[in-house]
Amino acid sequence: MTAATTGVVRTSRLDWAALAAALAPFAVALIVGAILLAATGRNPLAVYGLMLREGFGGESRVAATLTAATPILFTAIATAISFRAGIFNVGVEGVFSLGGLAGAVAGFTLTALPSPLLIVAELAVGALVGGLWLAAPALLRARLEVDEVVSTLMLNFVAVNLTLFLVNGPFLAPGSANSATPMIAAAGWLPRIAPPSTLSLGFIIALALLALYAVWDRLTPLGFEARLNGLNPRFSRAIGIDAPRLILKVMIISGAIGGLAGSAHALGVTHRFVVGFSPGYGWTGLAVALMGRNSAIGMLIGAIVFGALASAGTTVQLFSDIPLEIVDVLQGVVTIFAVVRFGRLLRGRSAA
Amino acid sequence: MIDNVLAAAALLTTPILLAAIGGLINRLGGIVNLGLEAMMLTGAYVALAASSATQSWPLALAAALVAGGVVGYVFSLAVTRLQANEIVAGVGLNVAAAGLIGFVLKDYYHSSGTIRLPDVVMLPRIVIPGVAQIPIVGAILSGKDPLTWLSWALVPITAFVLSRTRAGLRLRAAGAAPEAARALGLDPLAIRDASTAVAGALAGLAGAQLSIGVVGVFSVGISGGRAFIALAAFYFGRNRPGLTAAGAALFGLFDAIQIYLQGRGVAPELMQMLPYIVVLVVLTAIGLGERRRRLWQGA
Amino acid sequence: MIKPAVRIGARGVTRRFGGVIANDAIDFAAAPGEIRGLVGGNGAGKTTLMRILQGLEQPDEGAVILNDEPVRLADPADAFARGVGMVHQEFMLVEDLTLLENLILGREPVGPGGVIDRERALAEARRLAASAGVDLDWRLRVSEAPVHVRQILEILRLLYRGADVLILDEPTAVLAPQQVRDLLNLLRRLRDEGRTILFISHKLDEVLTVCDAITVLRAGKVVASTIPAEANIGRLAELMVGETIEFPRRLAQTRSSEKSALSLRGVRALDSRGVERLTGIDLDIGPGEIVGLAGVSGSGQDEIVAVITGLRRAIAGRVAIAGRDVTALSVAARRSAGLGYISADRAHEGLCLAETIAANVIAGRHRAKPFARRGLLWPKTIRTHANKALARFAVVYRDCQEAARTLSGGNQQRVVIARELDRNPRVLVAAQPTRGVDIAGAAFIHRQILAFAAAGGAVLLVSEEIEELLTLADRILVLYRGAVIGEVAGADRSVGRIGRMMLGEAA
Repeated sequence: MTAATTGVVRTSRLDWAALAAALAPFAVALIVGAILLAATGRNPLAVYGLMLREGFGGESRVAATLTAATPILFTAIATAISFRAGIFNVGVEGVFSLGGLAGAVAGFTLTALPSPLLIVAELAVGALVGGLWLAAPALLRARLEVDEVVSTLMLNFVAVNLTLFLVNGPFLAPGSANSATPMIAAAGWLPRIAPPSTLSLGFIIALALLALYAVWDRLTPLGFEARLNGLNPRFSRAIGIDAPRLILKVMIISGAIGGLAGSAHALGVTHRFVVGFSPGYGWTGLAVALMGRNSAIGMLIGAIVFGALASAGTTVQLFSDIPLEIVDVLQGVVTIFAVVRFGRLLRGRSAA
Repeated sequence: MIDNVLAAAALLTTPILLAAIGGLINRLGGIVNLGLEAMMLTGAYVALAASSATQSWPLALAAALVAGGVVGYVFSLAVTRLQANEIVAGVGLNVAAAGLIGFVLKDYYHSSGTIRLPDVVMLPRIVIPGVAQIPIVGAILSGKDPLTWLSWALVPITAFVLSRTRAGLRLRAAGAAPEAARALGLDPLAIRDASTAVAGALAGLAGAQLSIGVVGVFSVGISGGRAFIALAAFYFGRNRPGLTAAGAALFGLFDAIQIYLQGRGVAPELMQMLPYIVVLVVLTAIGLGERRRRLWQGA
Repeated sequence: MIKPAVRIGARGVTRRFGGVIANDAIDFAAAPGEIRGLVGGNGAGKTTLMRILQGLEQPDEGAVILNDEPVRLADPADAFARGVGMVHQEFMLVEDLTLLENLILGREPVGPGGVIDRERALAEARRLAASAGVDLDWRLRVSEAPVHVRQILEILRLLYRGADVLILDEPTAVLAPQQVRDLLNLLRRLRDEGRTILFISHKLDEVLTVCDAITVLRAGKVVASTIPAEANIGRLAELMVGETIEFPRRLAQTRSSEKSALSLRGVRALDSRGVERLTGIDLDIGPGEIVGLAGVSGSGQDEIVAVITGLRRAIAGRVAIAGRDVTALSVAARRSAGLGYISADRAHEGLCLAETIAANVIAGRHRAKPFARRGLLWPKTIRTHANKALARFAVVYRDCQEAARTLSGGNQQRVVIARELDRNPRVLVAAQPTRGVDIAGAAFIHRQILAFAAAGGAVLLVSEEIEELLTLADRILVLYRGAVIGEVAGADRSVGRIGRMMLGEAA
């Protein structure tokens, strides 16, 4: 058990076995990718070298990596909060899109507001929408014991379709070829923190949330209750923890952060909401949360690695004839092997 | 008009039903399989390629079945032997498989969208003379491909196998109480892997129905999330083959209606949401019913 | 075929876990047609030895003996194939399947196509049941079957699979005295048919009643092999512990006239399946009083405990703590009102084993000062307080920051008591407080309960050990089918009387 999973604060120890376990999925992915590359007549080492350079070589590349890492870090935090409490919430993918749309809508409607206020309003709207959205499955689980895996999974699809409907309908930018909303007013954009790269304030916000998460996890009563409930719900009930209330609080926070994540992504990167807004950020965040064992450091590292993968992949495509899909292959394989030995999480869960 | 919609619905239900039955069998064996999408996609591609190469649709179906089964089996090993979290691993599988197939499409076929292969033999449509003329029934029964008939047949067959055969009993035991199964000399992990292979095979067939049963081409988006609709049908059916089939049929009908309404002023996305909303409504209703039955279980 | 001298046994079996020697050169031999008792305290090595005999673990040295030959059992399936089967404390049954399906699972009579031949299965099941002298409804689902039926099914299943060595681990823990008698008779029948039975139990009276020979383990070694004619409970207990254990005796108390500390009026409640389990309970416990609750498993004890603690709502009636009506209050509110609770399920309800010992000690008070101030937890304060509480209850531990699961069973239970009594409650509900605790630990726990009562606390003691109730309680209420069928106090107190009442004989 690492420091992250035991209770009250204690000094962390470097756990070599855990480190090896954390690196294994990447090793497997690299091998699988190498086989694919070699089978199609390429030099895997050269490709990986290129990706490494594109991911981390130089300031602008690092900035691009961090930009790509930001939404993943956000969604990882959002998911980890639920997981801590033993709630297998897979709905962050859905609220990410909803929050993004909500933030974008605020951004092109509330154009009268001046800069910092507009940004705050957009983020707040995203968080509000996300929090409310996940309150529903929270209530279903808390009051009716409906499995949250099923309910949040279904809601993901409802959310995505809802945003599609809205962006193709009422929120469609006039004269737009592909389905997209109007651009967010310039006053509503998250400022860049390392021009000319696209790294925005969103990254800093994500880092701040990560720090808050670490504090919440170890040093607050709610974090303590969440952890107890996640580890042993019968025990936490017997000592007086109000599980329905806890579930509601935790899921709403999860949803709020997920919605905030989407909004920040819209404000900082895309500056509008388009179809295909989320290439699975919620799912990647989920994998990162599990890989990082819900710990702050683990999630940060995981998010950066996946961000590097995504960012390097896009640029590698420009320099070579390697299809972008290699990134998906690598990412998918890492995801599968990263959650090895987490089967226990679903012990006793019977979906419907 | 109704006939057209029903005829379409019957065809659209098939891949959902096949995958949903696979998901059901898998769930009884103990795994919630979110990777059905990957298996469906694999089956769709393999069926098209095999049909083009051999000019034989039975061979193509066999190939799709095997391909889906293999993907299922390998995925299952990661879950049972390496204890991967089945939900996340399923999602990862979808991403990886879509990535792999997309890679092959771009690299080998030099296409970034759809591929058309030469000499593809499609699944035959079986017209039943006499029945075909009957309104509604004719639309549903006549002019369907062999896989559609298979999917309907599988419903009672699955129900029978589950409740009355040794394989079904061992499957249910392995899924519900693996420790007890092991104590009796069974191998619950092997049984689980087998159930996933079956699910993968059925999902592969579902994919085949899409590529060589309906459209005749392949694209990475061919399944269009149908595997998740199948999942919704399986949640709707709550581990019972009959109910699952009803759910699949309902969602197939939604799909057909949605296509029919396209261009007639109703947004497709709203219809596409329906299966998932239906599942939520059903689960809520069940939850309410259970709660009333439970009474003062403790806050 | 010549019968072997040793049907099952161990020769020089040694097993170590890290630095601990769980089994130390164990030799024992059970003949065909024998019931062998195996006794020993917690940590004596019984469980490890059983696991080795079953093939769940391998000995580091020595070997398992089957039919006079040393063998290596690869896994339970291997042992099973050789005729060795075990009935676990946690039954290995599949809840959703019927009794019949559970019986035949793994060796189903099939026809063509793998279709199960139901006729044959049912005929075989009936034959087995008849030969054992029992009658079961084979179409019942296991989830609907009472506990003693499940146990019989487990045994029948072993017989169905041809096991002739049966290992039973604490088989009577969940049975009423009459059912215990039936089980022991069944075991005698099986023994007379030539089977070998290993009977592991800490109920020494039962061991003396049914066993042909008894092996005593202590600290991983065999310290004695004896026969019932030459042993008695006191002697066995001494051998098990290596010293004479003084169990504190409760001095006779007169009932206090003060206001009741815990009272129930007309309480009715349902069980987890919606069946009415409590049909109207009235109960009063005064400060300083220890009231025992006896009853067959399923008579309603679990529901009474749940209704008092707030883990379940009553459908009628009133619960009051120190005169205050808490019927509508939450678990947390009742604890604040002065309720303490020692759960019967230590691992899943009494403790959070994955969490630190310190966390387990202050859990429930983590929102209050001094553990939380200004919205944050104060780890140092928590640690200091936890260490003090742990010392007060003589818990043996290394660091309160270590996970609770690193402690032994007895120490874990002390942590539970430390948590509950450190809060100075007025009422303590103690359910199976010494379950899974060794003899010395149990004595300590009894002393704590007596001290608590002496200081004015009220105790509701729910226990399967009638002896424990007789030792500690001022009076004992007996539950039968959801109602209090009678009360036993003073000169009336005896195991026989309570046992009869547990099965419905009115007071």
